[in-house]
Amino acid sequence: MPKNLESITGKAWVFGNNIDTDQIIQGQYLTLLDYSEMAKHTFEIPRPVFASKVKKNDVVIAGRNFGGGSSREEAPKVLLESGVGCVVAESFARIFYRNGFNVGLPLLIIPNVGKLVKDGETVTVNLLEGTLHIHGSDDVLHGRPLPERMLKLLKAGGAVAWYKQMAGKR
Amino acid sequence: MGKTLAEKILASHTADGKASAGDIVEAKVDLLMVHEVLGSRIIPILKEMEFNKVWDPTKIVVVNDHWAPASDINSAEIHRRNRNFVREQGIVHFCDVDCGISHQVLPEMGLVAPAELIIGSDSHSTTYGAFNAFSAGLAATDSALILATGSCWFRVPESIRIEVNGNLSRMVMSKDLILKIISDLGPDGANYKSIEFQGDTIEQMEVGERMTMCNMTVEAGAKCAPMLVNAYVRKWMDTLASSKKWTETIPDKDAEYIDTYLYDLQKTPLEPMVAIPDSPTNGKPVRELSGVPIDQAYLGSCTNGRIGDLEIAAKILRGKKIRQGVRLIVTPASKQTYLMALERGLIKIFIDAGGIVTNSTCGACVGGHLGVLGAGEVCISSTNRNFKGRMGHQNSRIYLASPATVAASAIKGVITDPRSV
Repeated sequence: MPKNLESITGKAWVFGNNIDTDQIIQGQYLTLLDYSEMAKHTFEIPRPVFASKVKKNDVVIAGRNFGGGSSREEAPKVLLESGVGCVVAESFARIFYRNGFNVGLPLLIIPNVGKLVKDGETVTVNLLEGTLHIHGSDDVLHGRPLPERMLKLLKAGGAVAWYKQMAGKR
Repeated sequence: MGKTLAEKILASHTADGKASAGDIVEAKVDLLMVHEVLGSRIIPILKEMEFNKVWDPTKIVVVNDHWAPASDINSAEIHRRNRNFVREQGIVHFCDVDCGISHQVLPEMGLVAPAELIIGSDSHSTTYGAFNAFSAGLAATDSALILATGSCWFRVPESIRIEVNGNLSRMVMSKDLILKIISDLGPDGANYKSIEFQGDTIEQMEVGERMTMCNMTVEAGAKCAPMLVNAYVRKWMDTLASSKKWTETIPDKDAEYIDTYLYDLQKTPLEPMVAIPDSPTNGKPVRELSGVPIDQAYLGSCTNGRIGDLEIAAKILRGKKIRQGVRLIVTPASKQTYLMALERGLIKIFIDAGGIVTNSTCGACVGGHLGVLGAGEVCISSTNRNFKGRMGHQNSRIYLASPATVAASAIKGVITDPRSV
């Protein structure tokens, strides 16, 4: 199901730099075969309340190098499963960046976003324009618009849906 | 303008033979390695894709290594799914729970060759760079797409050249060098980039030492780390991959690098290094950490569980006892490594010293089994990651070091400079 790419509104959960994939989902939970079970442990180490308090379309905000470490696709998957609408960070680790779009989790890069958004603020993200608006202020933060390839993946609903569309055309 | 190793190897796998840094290219993959993520994540994705047959059953390796043998009912189910998949699809190369860790086993099987494009469903797939391969880690969905099509898109990485010259001194290992290098780069210093190691230090390294270097480049974010072929790699290929035809790739003299780092070990000798919690890039000279008490010393993993690693540890432990109250856990990287260690008498040295020798698996490195840490425990480990909670409880602490430093610390019960024992 393609996402609404122009307006994702939710509460901001702000994290620091270098949040590695073990902080998103610890290795001990990777043998769980059901994502809804696994999602109960999302951000268990850095934000133990996250999994029980997160609401649909909430936005994860982070500093540099979000998602470094293990290649585990479970990391973006548990965020998606938790209802996270998108992740906005100053930069992403490369495998996490691919994985996010592959599973249909939007990722946006905005300089200094980790310092400019406060935890708990309501924000609206426009992926097509690459912007983030902080509610209750005139602040609109500008980032890099999404690369064409990533937009296509998101519009299709992830890499598997994209593959099936392409296979249908062949 | 000349081409880097990453550009040349990728270019040789594209339809039009072109690949320049920044381009997005579609490339044909020579080999795909998948481990437990096949059973847990990839097979469900393949079902969603309505997939029937893998692109080439001879170019896929399935390895059950992370929780080997099964540590719980879920991992048993994952292994069962992998075995079924291998059978149904006629996969030629299958390493079940008895074999060891993928990144050690693939080269031992002669499946890795210079100039190849190798993908693994594991971030430490950069390890095969030691063999002059462009090798990178990807995850479940990309692996599923490769299983179906044999190809994948890549953004051609820019390259960082790291030249190291001079000799490593006594009890200083390639692990110490890579801990120093990634600490200088930082956790995202090589994000999206290829690292090309050059210089006489790298030229003189044995295969295992080179694998340790390439393995840990991912801790600085690197996509791949292809090295130049040296005499040890040639010998390895002649011995273990004699039926394989291969040609090496060398970078052009005028290749363009976005950054160059120079290390002169004659001028600035390297000391044994320890990466303090909670990042592998927190490297400090061991003397600054000497005296930190430990509960566990772990020797193993795709980073440092090879025969050369076990040999130096055994040299230090021979005839000695580890400190009472400390656990020494030795997990050889592969069955072949285990057998070599057995023949050379190393296993007996570890057991006589008070250590535990496990079967070959990722085991405790990934917090799976066979040495998981409890609350507040401290481990000195020859592995690759010391993230919070990586090897067990979130309040446990991991110090990364070389096999020599791990062995010396096990004897003293505190972090110890291996040159002092």
